[in-house]
Amino acid sequence: METERPFVLPGDSIDPSLIPVPRQQDAQTQNSKKQAVLRLGPGLRHMAATGAIVPTVPGQLVVDGRKRSMWVESKGGRYVASVGDVVIGQVQRSAGGDLFYVNLSPYTSNAILPHLAFEGASKKTRPQLAPGALVYARVSLANRHMDPELECVSPATGKADGLGPLVGGTVFDVSLGLARRLLMARSREEGQVAVLDFLGDEGLAFETAIGRNGKVWVRSDSIKTMIAVGRALQKTDEDDLSVDDQRKMVKWLIKSMR
Amino acid sequence: MTHLAPEAALSVLPRADGSAKYSYAGYTVTASVNGPIEAQKRDEQAYEAVVDVIVRPAAGVGGTRERHLESILQSSLSQIILITSFPRGLIQIMLQIESTPENDYVNTKLVQASLNLAIIPALLQTAVLALLSAAVPMKATATSSAVAVVLQDDGAKKMVVDPSPRDIESAQSVHALIFTSHDELLLAESEGDFTVQDWDQAYEVAYNVCCQAEAKKAGTDMMIDDDNDASGSDMRHFIRSTMESKVAADLHWKR
Repeated sequence: METERPFVLPGDSIDPSLIPVPRQQDAQTQNSKKQAVLRLGPGLRHMAATGAIVPTVPGQLVVDGRKRSMWVESKGGRYVASVGDVVIGQVQRSAGGDLFYVNLSPYTSNAILPHLAFEGASKKTRPQLAPGALVYARVSLANRHMDPELECVSPATGKADGLGPLVGGTVFDVSLGLARRLLMARSREEGQVAVLDFLGDEGLAFETAIGRNGKVWVRSDSIKTMIAVGRALQKTDEDDLSVDDQRKMVKWLIKSMR
Repeated sequence: MTHLAPEAALSVLPRADGSAKYSYAGYTVTASVNGPIEAQKRDEQAYEAVVDVIVRPAAGVGGTRERHLESILQSSLSQIILITSFPRGLIQIMLQIESTPENDYVNTKLVQASLNLAIIPALLQTAVLALLSAAVPMKATATSSAVAVVLQDDGAKKMVVDPSPRDIESAQSVHALIFTSHDELLLAESEGDFTVQDWDQAYEVAYNVCCQAEAKKAGTDMMIDDDNDASGSDMRHFIRSTMESKVAADLHWKR
């Protein structure tokens, strides 16, 4: 249930009629109290003194009345870790015998990945990751006063769920906005990005992993394919290509690869 | 004197987190913003981000004048950036002056000695656009204006918005003011001889350029002479429309 998305600049006042209010029946029934709570996403802050909700970044204000949440959608600058994000990091070094220092974006402080946060890891069988190795991990702790912490295993099930070391392949940088679109469950319909589908349809065989920190990992047996996939994504990002333009670009790319 | 409308391009530098190129009133400035990144151990502050402003002149290497401009901008910008959100962090703002109305290649020694307040609006506006392009969290945006108080032949004082180097040479005093998008005065730097009335008038003129330009268009404002009117471009509206078209392009996929 999305309606119009007004453009906001930092410090703008938000039209109070846009802020979803809890429905009467929701507020009354105890078990749906969780749904009645308004949730603020990235780019908004709540001023405790006045109770106002103020944007902090430029973008479009998106209000989801059904989920009772609102956030500011933007292409994003630099990645700031937040809990639950899946990211691609590069191992810097192993420290203290029980954790890895992992870099999520250049010139930022390292994230911490404990040796035991891998599937099936124990004191005896810990993963051996050399400096430079890539990991696909989830952010388990993000706090502005502390370095972020990562995990490659679901704490509830003890399963990796696809997370873990990324062997081979190469990493391409994209904007945070494109990474978010690629990670959408229905990226073609919702995110208007279908470039990977088109490349697959053309018969290229490759594997990808997408990190919310603006990294895309691509692996393929053919180096040509690997570069084509990465460049196609970067081109889609830089030139803001629509689905039709993505299809045309992929066609052109395939032709020039032969 | 009248100037062409301000021009800006966003995200011009592919490697920086955010960047902007802005030109107005003879000044062209390119800014790049990187951050929040990790501050060096010796600079880091435990509870807030460090804002690092670097000003590079169009010709030659930076000197005392650039350091002074940096300190002015640093204190203003750290007021509007949410620095407490990024403890131990660093937000780096690099401002490269590309061209100025005066010729930087002659009389460098003389120019070096004096502070040029008229460049502050261009630097500030470029920095704000680059910060917006980098999506650095901020409390508000800011706009700036420079006003020169020029004594006319008939003894009357004239307020010149965005003065040219010639205006500054003949001016009694020059004032640079910065306002946030909440109409709060963020910075007031003045140079030369002036009275409290002069300052009040300069403030009024700058306030109208930075905060009330929309009201002026509606014809409610009588403060500014007709010939000055055109020079006061609506800065807040300019920043908004520039960002709006950038965001619309970025979010073309959003239906």
